[in-house]
Amino acid sequence: MLNITKRLAGTAVASASLLLAAACGGGAAAPADIDLGSGPAKSGVVKKDALKGVNLTFVSYGGVYQKGQQDAAIDPFAKESGAQVLQDGPTDYAKVKAQVDSANVTWDVVDTDSIWAAAQCGKLLQPLDYKIIDKSKVPEGLATECSVPAMQYGMVLAYNKNKFGANPPQGWADFFDTAKFPGKRAIPGNPGDSAPGPFEAALVADGVAPDKLYPLDVPRATKKLDTVRADLVFWKTGAESQQLLESGEVDMVMMWSGRAYAGIKNGGTFDVQWNQWMPIMDSLAVPKNAKNPKAAMAMINYYLGAQQQAKLTELTSYSPINTDAKPKLDELGTSFLTTRPEVADKRLTVDDKWWAENQPEMIEKWSAWLGG
Amino acid sequence: MKERTAGPALLILPALIALGVFFLYPLLSMLVSAFTDPEPGLGNFAWFFGEQANMQVLGRTFSTAFWVTLVALALSYPYAYAMTIAGPRAKAVLTLLVLVPFWTSLMVRTFAWVILLQDTGVINKALGAIGMGPFSLIRTQTGVVIGMVQLLMPFMVLPLYAVMSGIDRRLLSAATSLGAHPVKAFLQVYVPQSLPGVSAGCLTVFISALGFYVTPALLGSPTDALISQQIFTQVNGLLKWGRGGAMGVVLLGLTLAMIALLAVTLRRTGRKVTG
Repeated sequence: MLNITKRLAGTAVASASLLLAAACGGGAAAPADIDLGSGPAKSGVVKKDALKGVNLTFVSYGGVYQKGQQDAAIDPFAKESGAQVLQDGPTDYAKVKAQVDSANVTWDVVDTDSIWAAAQCGKLLQPLDYKIIDKSKVPEGLATECSVPAMQYGMVLAYNKNKFGANPPQGWADFFDTAKFPGKRAIPGNPGDSAPGPFEAALVADGVAPDKLYPLDVPRATKKLDTVRADLVFWKTGAESQQLLESGEVDMVMMWSGRAYAGIKNGGTFDVQWNQWMPIMDSLAVPKNAKNPKAAMAMINYYLGAQQQAKLTELTSYSPINTDAKPKLDELGTSFLTTRPEVADKRLTVDDKWWAENQPEMIEKWSAWLGG
Repeated sequence: MKERTAGPALLILPALIALGVFFLYPLLSMLVSAFTDPEPGLGNFAWFFGEQANMQVLGRTFSTAFWVTLVALALSYPYAYAMTIAGPRAKAVLTLLVLVPFWTSLMVRTFAWVILLQDTGVINKALGAIGMGPFSLIRTQTGVVIGMVQLLMPFMVLPLYAVMSGIDRRLLSAATSLGAHPVKAFLQVYVPQSLPGVSAGCLTVFISALGFYVTPALLGSPTDALISQQIFTQVNGLLKWGRGGAMGVVLLGLTLAMIALLAVTLRRTGRKVTG
């Protein structure tokens, strides 16, 4: 009996230490020394088998988007470089923080909101090495110290063409005009998140000149938002906004262009008013203390290639960020390319830098207004 | 003697270790962060109690949990009673009706409610066909309560049924044979004996409702967020873990206080019934 007791105790202690080891270990491996070849980096290219034996994890938001990224860039990169690349997701900022704080980073390349990436540069994210990443084909100013764009899209005004087709809303002023355009309208309303969109639209609708938007006049914006509050519906996820459009529950939606595209493709009777659309980007970034930053950046460099970007656009409808990318799209898909000059010229300029500096404060103000 | 007790104690050791690693340790780290992140002190609590919006959310959380418990009790009590008097076949059907949703994923059921409750959804279409509505159900507190009641009802029905099935129904006949009106007999003889089931069910439902996240997030509007959603905002959106921790501590403290309060009142009423 005594023996059994001892053995039991031994097993228990052993399993406990195993658990602890699993919880605490894994962070010690030193970054493998890798040779990415000589000469300047060229986007979309990685030296054959340069990363044999390297494990990387790519993290994005799931759905059609991540599948597109995987098929267009990540899997071909793994094949070419010899690296093993795992897919994980969805991107969760709290998880990035937990990994960095505990110095046990398992995510190597993370697809994030570009404003968040700018705000976390040097905090949770590390500077990128532009000797490994070739940013020459990325439009001027979009690649920052800690991130490169992953794709571009926009916050657009989608409207029900059955209802407003004869006299479509011309911009955000009409979005806020419930007398001329009666009906429910949906806007993003996630209490944990505030991004360019509702405030800018409200201010423009209230008569603020587009080039004088920043710093945002929050009291004025919320006052304008209050005027339509009774007609507002808040969506919290892209899927929800698309569902609102497809079911026809609302007559206008302020939504991401990719979701508007998917909803219209699924039979939603909506059209997009491109006037005053607001550009948005996702970014690719490398968390601080990532185990193999060189390999992670080689993956980013590969992702930026013209071919990869064209394929990503064909698979997801998001616009490419390589100026040489030539995606082949149908008519609807082409109409959603925010990189086309006739669309690009109608955009409202969003000050990402201002947002990066003020986002935490904006989230609090936005949450307060939502909950108020 | 000593050996005999040591054996069983060791058998629960793995469970204790699992609890320690996966429950106590995270709980403690939440407590610590509430008092230390970003700086040691009571700053996070001062922030929580200083913001009007937080008090509103806290009040809304408790009132939602209260309504969910009340509606669930009102629906479950007759249901559980019916289960005790039904024949074996009807009882099997009634039990199955409670258990099947219980076995279905909470996410799936919540999404089903999204489809049912939306303005162009099944409920409003059916009401429209008979000339009523449409009613705003989704993105309202009513919608949240409807969804949560359905999700939590098994936790009310099952303890009620467990207690009710143990009540000797002949006591009711005895009371009526002694001249009590059937309603009076039910209220004075049957209901008091079912109270342990009522309290167990109410406690489980109320406490589960306090911490609900997915259902209010999907069925409710962000304008009537509950505390778990606000915790999510602080932890995931703002990365302010200290504040999130403080909110968790407040919720935990209030929940424990509720349990204590209920335990005390139950002991009192229990004494009254038996004494």
